Amino acid sequence: MDNKDKLAEIKEKKKEWEEKVLLPAAKRFGIEKKPTEFHTPLDIADFDFVRDVGFPGQYPFTTATYPVSLVPSIERGAKPGGLRRAGTYSGYGTPEDTRDYYKQMAKLSWTGGPNLALDLPTQCGYDSDNEMVEGEIGKVGVAIDTLRDFEVIFEAFTGDQDVDRIATNITINAAANILVAMYIALAEKRGIPMAKLRCTPQNDILKEFVSRGTYIFPPRPSMRMFRDSVVFFTENLPGINITSIGGYHIREGGSTREQELAFSMAIGIAYLQEGVNAGVDIDAFTPKFTFNAFGGSMQFFKEIAFQRAARRMWAKILKERFGAKKKDSMRIRCPITAHVGCSSTTKQRALNNLSRSVVGAIAGVLSGGPPYAFPPYDEPLGLGWSLEARQLAEDATRIIMYETGMCDVIDPLAGSYYVESLTNEIEDAAWKEIEKVESMGGAVTAIENGYMQREVAKSAAERQARIERREELVVGVNCFTEEYELDVTTSKIIEHPYSEEKRYDAEKQQKANLAEVKRTRNNREVTRLLGELESAAKKEDKNLMPLFIDLAREYATLQEQCDVLRGVFGEWQLDTFV
Amino acid sequence: MEKERKIKVLIAKPGLDGHDRGAKVLSFGLRDQGMEVIYTGRRQSVQQIVNSALQEDVDVVGLSILSGAHLTFFPKVVDLLRENGAEDMLVIGGGIIPENHIPILKEKGVTEIFGPGTMIKDIGDFIRKNVRKIA
Repeated sequence: MDNKDKLAEIKEKKKEWEEKVLLPAAKRFGIEKKPTEFHTPLDIADFDFVRDVGFPGQYPFTTATYPVSLVPSIERGAKPGGLRRAGTYSGYGTPEDTRDYYKQMAKLSWTGGPNLALDLPTQCGYDSDNEMVEGEIGKVGVAIDTLRDFEVIFEAFTGDQDVDRIATNITINAAANILVAMYIALAEKRGIPMAKLRCTPQNDILKEFVSRGTYIFPPRPSMRMFRDSVVFFTENLPGINITSIGGYHIREGGSTREQELAFSMAIGIAYLQEGVNAGVDIDAFTPKFTFNAFGGSMQFFKEIAFQRAARRMWAKILKERFGAKKKDSMRIRCPITAHVGCSSTTKQRALNNLSRSVVGAIAGVLSGGPPYAFPPYDEPLGLGWSLEARQLAEDATRIIMYETGMCDVIDPLAGSYYVESLTNEIEDAAWKEIEKVESMGGAVTAIENGYMQREVAKSAAERQARIERREELVVGVNCFTEEYELDVTTSKIIEHPYSEEKRYDAEKQQKANLAEVKRTRNNREVTRLLGELESAAKKEDKNLMPLFIDLAREYATLQEQCDVLRGVFGEWQLDTFV
Repeated sequence: MEKERKIKVLIAKPGLDGHDRGAKVLSFGLRDQGMEVIYTGRRQSVQQIVNSALQEDVDVVGLSILSGAHLTFFPKVVDLLRENGAEDMLVIGGGIIPENHIPILKEKGVTEIFGPGTMIKDIGDFIRKNVRKIA
């Protein structure tokens, strides 16, 4: 029998099974409207292994980005702190507080560069002495006003952990180039040329308009800043990642799986086009694109399919649309794959979040990545994770890595009728949505006109409505909440290294730090350079990176520079889109 | 004279926090329950929020914050409303608020704090029960 005859036979047998076996059983259990699914070769009738799946680390990267699983060997992974990295998103209060935190963590054998969380004034381009941002200094991250603050933080990184030996992550978007310039100036003062730096600024400004919200300038001048990154980084900073694209934030903001995939790919396309328009060779800069994470949910198989679809789409976009030749241009470089997403965690009976994150970790390993049990169970309880919750999350990851054998195989669901058909479905839906965005003129236009923002808000509201109608169940939130359920609470037995007292003192301290910088720097030179920045900003084709470096050297503040740019570029109008 | 006037709610995001999912979802949800909802959008100063509340003469001010700056912003909004004679406006808050901060905020005049996982129906019920009497 050839394939066509075989499919015809399956079709016939399936019909027979549905009528004689499935339906009576479904009726007996009262689920005839939505009987349990079963999938067959009919769901992927034109399946072509080489075209649709391929081998790990090869086009179209459906199975995995790399040919081997990224699990550290037991020798590396099992040593104390082997999985721990300063790379955990962190940063508190004043630069001094953050420096001391990293020093303390180094004693717990943390290694590697920091993953800097910045406070909101820094992310939105305001200085610590601005009255408007009182109460926000040093919250959700460390405050950065000038080069001085980088100098202080990086006192924790010297010797074999100096800035040419570590990779630093900075979660900064609107002001990414200004902070990278400060990092360059810091290295320069240590006698390290910028070409030796390894660093990843988040630098994914478009998703900030859709979700998360740390924009400063309108989308178009923001894209000009992105162009400056592509051009300057490609020429001068071979060790820097240009952007770390995140669909994660869009999903956490409430989008559906398909919207997230479509919007993040459309945003990626806009960035790629910006580089191409600036005359940079696609294969010269795309390998320096990273992805920090896509979103997740408790929908186990759908999330696995999502990851597979995302890898395949990105590969196709690079190869077919942008004509990339290099394999490195086509792969999604992303440290994590499927996970449950922070918005799946619940404040109610918070220890249950450990169970949830383990489900996510298993989805992670089955979708071609490491089994990160993320987030720690106390995520929804407040800012600052407890060390106990982190230990449990790390141990859950280790248990999956070293006890289960799950990491011995890549994409074990490849070829599954169900998962392959789900992968196709998600990809098809995302392409349709991308077409819609493209018909408006692309991601930038779909943000300027509020389309993406509105769609995400609508989806968030629809999900909440489903939860309230109990069409979607969340244990401990809208079901199993009766009085005889135990309210299991968490106990924090180890204090967080960054105490609340320091937190409250940080604002005053940082204002004093900034006042001292402003008193002792060469203010005449700062003023002159800010004037230069203004005229350069007015010339659309001018790359502002060299000026940002000059300004960093002279301890110009973040806000001084952003204010000049606000004057030229304008500020994003805060439409609400509800 | 206007017996059937809808309950009017201002949902506001004070400060720089960009997490607006909760604020938007709540705006949609309360609207579905028949209330009139005004959403300010992100990055509102205390003065802007109070101005909007007074101009619109709302019954309820709902403040949403997930950045940890609630202890600064929430009491400031309450105080400025009181200074402007709007002590009868119901002020409620939501977001990621640590348990031990809830009594502090209530002490300062925030009537209730709603955390993640709260059903909008429950927030609606709370508002209907506690809102100033609508003539």
